[in-house]
Amino acid sequence: MLLVEMFCPGPARLEKDDMEAITAEQVRSQVRDFWDAFITRSKSRFQEFYSPTASCFAADGRRSEPARLMWVRREREFFGPKSSVAAKVGAVTVQLLGPNLGVACYPFHFSIIRVLPNGNRVQVEVPFSRATQVFQRGSDGKMVIIHEHLSSAEPTTPKELPPEPGG
Amino acid sequence: MSSSISPEQVRAEVEKFWRIMCGKSRERLDDLYTSNALVLTGKARKPEPAQAALVRRAQQISAPSAEAVAELGAIEILLPDQDVAIASYTYKFHQKRPDQAGAVLKRHTLFGRATQIFQQDSAGRLRIVHEHLSAATNPEVEKTAAS
Repeated sequence: MLLVEMFCPGPARLEKDDMEAITAEQVRSQVRDFWDAFITRSKSRFQEFYSPTASCFAADGRRSEPARLMWVRREREFFGPKSSVAAKVGAVTVQLLGPNLGVACYPFHFSIIRVLPNGNRVQVEVPFSRATQVFQRGSDGKMVIIHEHLSSAEPTTPKELPPEPGG
Repeated sequence: MSSSISPEQVRAEVEKFWRIMCGKSRERLDDLYTSNALVLTGKARKPEPAQAALVRRAQQISAPSAEAVAELGAIEILLPDQDVAIASYTYKFHQKRPDQAGAVLKRHTLFGRATQIFQQDSAGRLRIVHEHLSAATNPEVEKTAAS
């Protein structure tokens, strides 16, 4: 078994320690804003929610990938003109693990049209999606995701869509 | 912030968890969790208290003729706070257990993914406060008729 150690740097601790502890409502607000950025497919806003080194399990990913790779893949699959993203987020449970650390977990209904690497489009309904997102507040006061795990409670079947007229 | 937790401690806890899941340890699964731990696992559609999931797991582990083998992938460890560690890794899990009709059920999870978040308690012991286990593809299931 291999062990990969990743230590999160903690610069400017004095400034960070002066801040009040994050609240559950602040974490919930981040989750709401995250999904707003995803659904409106605002690429730059979406990326700002993640630490570039965050480790992410996509719902169908066989291994985790760093956020900077996930951005490229999601941009290709979800953020183009032929894609669409919709989500209904359920109750968000927050566990506060430190003054700068909170874990959000929640169910959500995910509806997407994604573009495959071969250019074909598929529609996927994932009514029983589940998310774990670990948020950490940095010395600049911004909360970012440092780990994400998305999954589905039930198997899903992508439905291939016919080519778009003129596409 | 420098962490008081070492990656070796986290790895040891992950390995302990899987030894218990495979029925190869007398330790109790619920000792690994905080009393307010939350888990997302199996077909659960939303987070549930760990205690509820642990009752189901304990029954599966202790079922007569139950067998299980786990193979863990590389464990990535994040130490985001002094007393918190996040372990994420992939796993394969092969289970054999009787179903309610007495038939033998073999279940192979080939692309399991795990997130386990540990917090150190006042005695310095690491306990799971949040867990998310899932699979990238459906497990393969074989059923053999009762003999």
